[in-house]
Parts: sequence; structure tokens; C-alpha cells
Amino acid sequence: MKRKTFWGFAAPSVVVMTLLMLFPLVTTVYLSFFRVLPRNRYSLSACDDLGGSCFVGWKNYSDIFSDGEFWTAFWFTLKFVAVTVPIQTLFGLAVALLLDRVGRGRGFYMAALLTPFIVTPVVGSLLVKDLFARTGFVSKVVQILTGDPEATFLLTDGNVNWVIFLQSIWHVMPFAMISLFAGLQSLPAERMEAASIDGAGFWRSLWHVKVPHLRSIFLFITMISLMDAYRVYDSVFIFATERFADSRSLQMYTIEVATDFGRVGRGNALSVVTVLGVFVILLPFLYISYKDQLAERA
Amino acid sequence: MNTERWYHRYGLHAIMILLVIWSVIPFTWALQNSIKFVRDVRLNAIWGYDPTGIAYNGFWFSDDDINMWHPLLVVLAFGAVATALGMIGKRAGNEGKYFYGAVIAVLAFGVWWFPRLFETSRNYEYFVNSLVVTVLTVVISISIGLLAGYGLARYTGISGAVILIVALGFRALPRSAFVLPYFFTANRLGILDSRLVLVLALVAVNQPFTIWMLRSFFMDVPKSLEEAAMIDGASRFQAFYKVIIPIMWPGIIATALFTLLLAYNEFLFVRVLAVTNYTLPVGISAATAAEGPQIFNEIPAASVSITLPIIIVIILFQKHLVKGLGAGAVKG
Repeated sequence: MKRKTFWGFAAPSVVVMTLLMLFPLVTTVYLSFFRVLPRNRYSLSACDDLGGSCFVGWKNYSDIFSDGEFWTAFWFTLKFVAVTVPIQTLFGLAVALLLDRVGRGRGFYMAALLTPFIVTPVVGSLLVKDLFARTGFVSKVVQILTGDPEATFLLTDGNVNWVIFLQSIWHVMPFAMISLFAGLQSLPAERMEAASIDGAGFWRSLWHVKVPHLRSIFLFITMISLMDAYRVYDSVFIFATERFADSRSLQMYTIEVATDFGRVGRGNALSVVTVLGVFVILLPFLYISYKDQLAERA
Repeated sequence: MNTERWYHRYGLHAIMILLVIWSVIPFTWALQNSIKFVRDVRLNAIWGYDPTGIAYNGFWFSDDDINMWHPLLVVLAFGAVATALGMIGKRAGNEGKYFYGAVIAVLAFGVWWFPRLFETSRNYEYFVNSLVVTVLTVVISISIGLLAGYGLARYTGISGAVILIVALGFRALPRSAFVLPYFFTANRLGILDSRLVLVLALVAVNQPFTIWMLRSFFMDVPKSLEEAAMIDGASRFQAFYKVIIPIMWPGIIATALFTLLLAYNEFLFVRVLAVTNYTLPVGISAATAAEGPQIFNEIPAASVSITLPIIIVIILFQKHLVKGLGAGAVKG
């Protein structure tokens, strides 16, 4: 395809991404160096006026790093990523391997197992949170097991993080499962046969045949899950009410500072810090993808 | 498979059923709470309660004493007509598109007519907002994504690679990196709290994913197809529109499904950019903040209501969804 034709095809999409992603991103970075007050947010040079908006340099950033709530949200987010991403990927692999062995009823199982993935995240969190209510499923199970009709299992400061992680694993595991299942389906049958003729058992054929075949899919789902876990908002929003304020994610804290408290400049600085974090995590993946693209073109 | 022992087979199914229970328990729990009176939710009886539609009545209607069989029958009637038309369309082959058009017309009429039959609450408006925003987002993102995806699949220059990698980087960005500039710009243009601003925001954040996925489907289409058409005198765009698009439908449906999920489920943008004109996810989350005992059964009823439409869509198009994830994943 000629260069000119290519730009003709790509133009609408590139314009949308430039206007609605690149520009806002640059604006976010720019405003992170200002104190922006809602009252006169369009004039950024009113430094004399005590209520005005003006350039403050790195102040927003230094404020963030000396802010305990930021660090709480930051550590929560890191923990969230470190716990949920590996578990949901390995869990997804295990279920994909099982699903691959199922003959009859596979369509039914697949549809049922996919439901947590398609449900609206906020609603998924509400549903899971409801299981831990006084009248919830978990308390009911405890009551039946212990025979004590008053027994309960409720959300506490101690377990709320684990319930949030559990909800996320419940919600995202089907994505890993279905991607890995699609990969297993594309594994040539001869290779499995060759492995079994060579006397490879379940674990050896898993490690030497299936896992290498799934390598690029692992890369893909790890990348997507890292992105999504790092910027988690919806599902945490439902749990991290005032009572569990220590379970706010970085994204949730950012939106809270910027919109609910109206500290726009500081919110933007938080966004920039979040974005830098994304790139630290993703740089290796972006590099690999870029190499792939170049290899395709060579 | 014949060499497998019986306990392997039954053991496998037993594990799968446990996994199914793990997946659906939150839905079934909400479903049974949604058809109870508040006092029965409090008593937490698993059986022996009077089923009632009162929670659905409370969430969807401003009139408190509707006989819930009436709206249910209306919904089922429209669903049945749409299903029948869809099934005829599937058999009609080439003329099928007229029947699919009729399905959309019937459903759109139903959505418009419903609040004229019953006194609906604000939540119905949120539902209509959800529908409009979702449909517009899907149509616009797929249209411009198809053009770009095709260009990126066929062009071998370095700028194509740069666009793809930058898009991948954008895909990773958190919503907070865009939402404040959106808010201020929309406020200035006077389009805050409108469906338009939500559609624009969603189309934008969806583009990276859309072009990557559509591109991977276009890579599967052999170049010889459009080359043959171009030798016959078609322009590049005619070849794209008349030859390539008609065989891309599976890819378009798969990508559209993911876009649909993303738009229908969006929370953060709606929460910040909509002040009163919410879509359903924010409407439900706002309803949880209400005080009063009715939240015990109305929130489950709302959760069931918002989930049912997507479950229907996914059951109808499950194959495409799985294929789409496969296509995206296998090619990385």
C-alpha cells in the first residue's frame, strides 16, 4: 500500500487519538504544575489573587510524596497487582487445561464460566460484596456448617483486601482461561502425539509442549492484566467506602482528589505519577511488541 | 479418550461443576434476593418465602402498585417477536439483513413505547442512556477502526509500527490521564452531562484496542483478493468496501462485542462527565448510597436487570467472542 493511501485510511482514527488522547494527556501533564481552583480554572496566571490558579512548579509532586494517603493507595495498588495477576493467570491456565479435556458439555461450561467476565465490574463487586453481608451467602454457609443460626462472616479491616482480590480473580480469570483455551485449541495434535510416544507424562508434556506453545498468549494476557489491574477503579470503588478507606486504589484516590475535593492540579500530578508507573511496568512489553513489528516488516 | 477411566471422566465433570458454581453463585444469590420482600431477605430463608416483583417495581417504576406481570409480559412479547424475526432472518440467507433490520426496529420501538405504557422511574432513563451511548460508541469506533485497521494491516512503512506501539501505550493509560481535560473542555463547550461527551470519550479510549484487534483480523485476509478486484478496475477503497468488508463480519462482530462490553460497563467516565444523565452502572452505584431498607432487594434486582441484556447478547454471540479472544491472543 502506498504511503498516501495508508494515511487516507488511518486519518480518522489518528485524528481521534491525537485530539482525544494525546492532547488531553499533554494538558494533564501541563496542569500538574499548576494550582487549579475550580472557581477560576481558565485563568492560570492569577497568582496575586489568593483564590486564583497559578504556576506552582513541582509543589504538587512534593505534596504527593509527603502524603500518607498516597502511599497507602500506592501500596494497596502494588499488592493488588502482585496478588491478582499471577493467580488469575495460573488459575486460568488450570481451567483452560481442564476445559480442553472436556468433550460433551463444553459450550455450557464455557458460557457459565464466562459470565463473571462480562458482568459490569461495579455490579460484580456489588454482588460479591453482598455475599459477605449479614444476610449473605457466606454467613449462611457458616451458619449451616457450625449449626449456630447467629454466626456471621462479615467484611472487616483485616479481610477486606482479600475479598477485593478474590472479586478481581473471580472477574478476570475467565479472560485468561478463554485466551489460553483458544491457544490450546490451535496446538497441532501431532505434537501432543509425538510427546506421548516419547513417553512424556502430563507434567512433562505440559512443560515442554503446551507451555512453550502458549508463550505469546501468556505475554499478551500478562500485559493486558497488568494494565487493567494497575488502573483498577470500578471494582475497588464499591468496597473502599469510608470505612475501608485504606483499600483505595491509586486511580480511585486520584479521582477523589481531583473531582471530589476539587484539587485539580494535584489530581493531575497524581495521574502523571500513575502514568509513569504504567510505563515502568510496560516498557519491556512495548519493547517486545516493537521488535515484533519491525521483524514483520523486515 | 476411550482409554480414560470412568472416574477420570466423572471427576472432570465434578470439578467443572464446582467451577460453574464458583462463577455463578453471586448471580444466583442476587437473583433469589431480588424476588423477596425485604423482611424475607432479612430472615435469609433459602426457601419457603413468597416470591414478589416488588424490588423490580421499586427500581424501575415510579408507580408503586404496578402488577408486575404486565411489564414482564410486554418485555417477553417484544423479545418473542424479535427472536422470531431473527430466526427467520438467519434462514433467509441474502434477504436476512431486512429481517435483522426489523429486529432492531422492533426493539427500538419497544424501548420508546415502554415508558408510555408504564410510569417508569429515572432508572429507565439511565437504561436508555446506556443503550444510546453503547450503540453509538460501537458504530463509530468500528467504522473508523475498520479503516485504520485495514491500513495498518496492509502498509509496511515504519510509521505504521509507530502508530501501533503508541496506540498500545495509550491502551495502558489510566482514565484519570484524560478525564479532567475532558471535563473542562466539555464544560466550556456546554456538552457536559450529555450522551455526546460520553460517546466521544469512549470512542477515543477504545480506538487502540479496536485497531489492534481489527488489524489482526485483516492480516488473515489474503492480499490477492483485493488485488484481483483492483486489477478489474476497482479503486483501493472500492476493493476494501465491496470485497474485504463482506468477509470480515466475524471479526467485526467479535470486535463490536468487546466494544459493547466496554461501553455498557463504563463507570469512571460516566461518574465524572455525567452530572445527572447517568448510565446504568453509575445509576446503580448511586442507588446503593440511598438510605432505607429497600436497598436489600432493589440492588439485587437492579444487578440482575443490568446483567440480563449482556448475558443474552453473549449467549447469542459466544462463538464470536471466543474466536475474537483467540485471534487477539494467538497473534499477540
